Amino acid sequence: MRITSRRSFAPLPSLVTAWALTAGSAGAANPELGFVLDGFFTSDTAALSDRGKGFGLGHTELSLNAPVDDLFTGRLTVVLESHAGESGIELEEAFVDTVSLPFGVNVRAGRFLSQVGYLNARHTHSDDFAQRPAVYRALLGGHWFDDGVRLGALLPTPFFWRVGVEAFDGEALAGGEGDDAVGVFTLASTWGGDLSGSSSWQAGVSYLRHRLDMAKETVGEGAGGEATGAHDHAHDHSHDAAYGGENVYLLDAVWKWAPRGNVRERQLAVSGEYLRADGLGEFARGGDVHEGWYAAAVYRFHPQWSAGLGHGEVELKAAHGDHFHDQSLRETDLVLTWARSHFSQLRLQASLQDAEGFDEASDTVTLQYVMTLGAHGAHEF
Amino acid sequence: MNSSGRALLLCLLGCSVVPPAYAALDVLACEPEWQALAEALGGDRVRAVSATTAFQDPHHIEARPSLIVKARDADVLFCTGAELEVGWLPLLLEKSGNRRIQLGQPGHFLAAAEVTLIEVPIVADRSQGDVHADGNPHVHLDPHRLLIIAEAFSARLRTIDAEHAEHYRQRFAAFSSAWQAAIDGWARKAGPLRGKRAVVHHRNWSYLLDWLQIDTVGDLEPKPGLPPTSAHLAELLQRTRQLPPDFILIANYQGTRGARWLADNSDVPLLELPFTVGGGDGADDLEGLYESILAMLLDGA
Repeated sequence: MRITSRRSFAPLPSLVTAWALTAGSAGAANPELGFVLDGFFTSDTAALSDRGKGFGLGHTELSLNAPVDDLFTGRLTVVLESHAGESGIELEEAFVDTVSLPFGVNVRAGRFLSQVGYLNARHTHSDDFAQRPAVYRALLGGHWFDDGVRLGALLPTPFFWRVGVEAFDGEALAGGEGDDAVGVFTLASTWGGDLSGSSSWQAGVSYLRHRLDMAKETVGEGAGGEATGAHDHAHDHSHDAAYGGENVYLLDAVWKWAPRGNVRERQLAVSGEYLRADGLGEFARGGDVHEGWYAAAVYRFHPQWSAGLGHGEVELKAAHGDHFHDQSLRETDLVLTWARSHFSQLRLQASLQDAEGFDEASDTVTLQYVMTLGAHGAHEF
Repeated sequence: MNSSGRALLLCLLGCSVVPPAYAALDVLACEPEWQALAEALGGDRVRAVSATTAFQDPHHIEARPSLIVKARDADVLFCTGAELEVGWLPLLLEKSGNRRIQLGQPGHFLAAAEVTLIEVPIVADRSQGDVHADGNPHVHLDPHRLLIIAEAFSARLRTIDAEHAEHYRQRFAAFSSAWQAAIDGWARKAGPLRGKRAVVHHRNWSYLLDWLQIDTVGDLEPKPGLPPTSAHLAELLQRTRQLPPDFILIANYQGTRGARWLADNSDVPLLELPFTVGGGDGADDLEGLYESILAMLLDGA
């Protein structure tokens, strides 16, 4: 196996061995071990997609999770991905969390998924679609994690109100050239509550300040950017975002409904996000921004079956020396998912792309499985 | 954060009224039966809320914002345990940032940890369905186990709120003698149910049926946690023809499709029972819940 990721990591087998050794001795005090197996077949290569055509492995992950002591908990997630004959092992999460500091304050340090937006902090295996929306793939590399620290607080208000500030290294975002010790700051505020016994909502605003220099070329085909097709960029399978700006603004909203709140039988989930990035570098003119949104509705009409419709659009500026090339992509996804049990999913998805400025825009059909083994996954809202 | 700190912060945030009952313990129950029990044992010293209702499947709950707020405010968490809430309770605890209710704290109370569980799997393997490694967690429908849980929870209240220990002792004594008398009454009433045969949907009723000596002769779920399939229902129908059950029991939060099909094809009565407090007429508290389940079983048999 060739390890191609920038974020190479110690061999997987030694981790499993280490776990197996500890698991034998102390029972429930040991780390919870969880696996996710994710495989797919895609009919064609699509714009801004890191999934090549044909068979491939998606987010195959192994995670360990345990209290450290009465003050800290820790989590480690290793991801293995494979496509086009190359495999990569990547350390996606390696963080410690504080438990129960006073005043609802929480500190997380290490490598973790940023709090920005709705989808970003969630694990991809809990997604309803085979891929993140185009605007996420362009600006956040699908899901953006980095090395840093977060200070969060659940405020003592009668309704749900969480705020957080993060400082990151920042090199996983587009640009990433510079020597600032702290490359990226983020701020986020999230509100939520119940509208009735049957429906609940959550909404958030977040802001990301990128202090590193913007790249002069949009690269990183791994994350998508078949930008400026005449130029042959090195094929680099990474999740680094291909587009960025000094300021990124995010708005997100989610509403879910289930008869009497009984999500087991039926559930409708409607979600949407808007992202905008400005400050695209020294050659940007006043109005140059990256901008995009998506909206999705997924209805589980039977404990084992769900169907969803999603649409997203993104307008991008591909950096090319001292000027930009305009790019735009509109994407519509139709998905049907069957879950034999709580732990297995089979998904059939049709994605229609309509693009300008991309070489490989195409309509695709994807067949995917996502299976979770071991530790019980969390039912996040 | 302690109560006075919280009250102070609320005031700083511009809230003009501090709720007068802050001296009472805030209990977050995971299921309505534990809310009812906490109210019975705590009286006006506790303010209990439930994270779920009788019409929600407690295995499948999302850690939504309103629940995180309830967990943040709780002094005591009263849940079933035995992995019933494994999909959502750990997340609630993590997101609440509330030290008082974390695992190992006095404010973290699990009912199933106080009693012996039945149906403990020899091999907890998901090819056997969504089995709970510790055993069947649905303990609240055995009145004897419920009394043991009540005693343990009352002791926990005395630990947490030692100043009012006498109050909790008196309330438990009253609850215990009333409950004991109720058990005797139910046992007399339930005589005709002994030896009846039930088809169930999920192993929800095992403790109740054990207590009433009703035999479980079939399960609508092919494996725990999986909805009924047509092949499994057809096989069940075959079996009911050889040895007809007396009733099909489902909880009223469960889908009726499979159970209705079997009932229609076999002429076995389908009983949609309240699974917990708040699940039907008369099931307003624990005694009412048992009374209404018994009445429906006696009616249906």
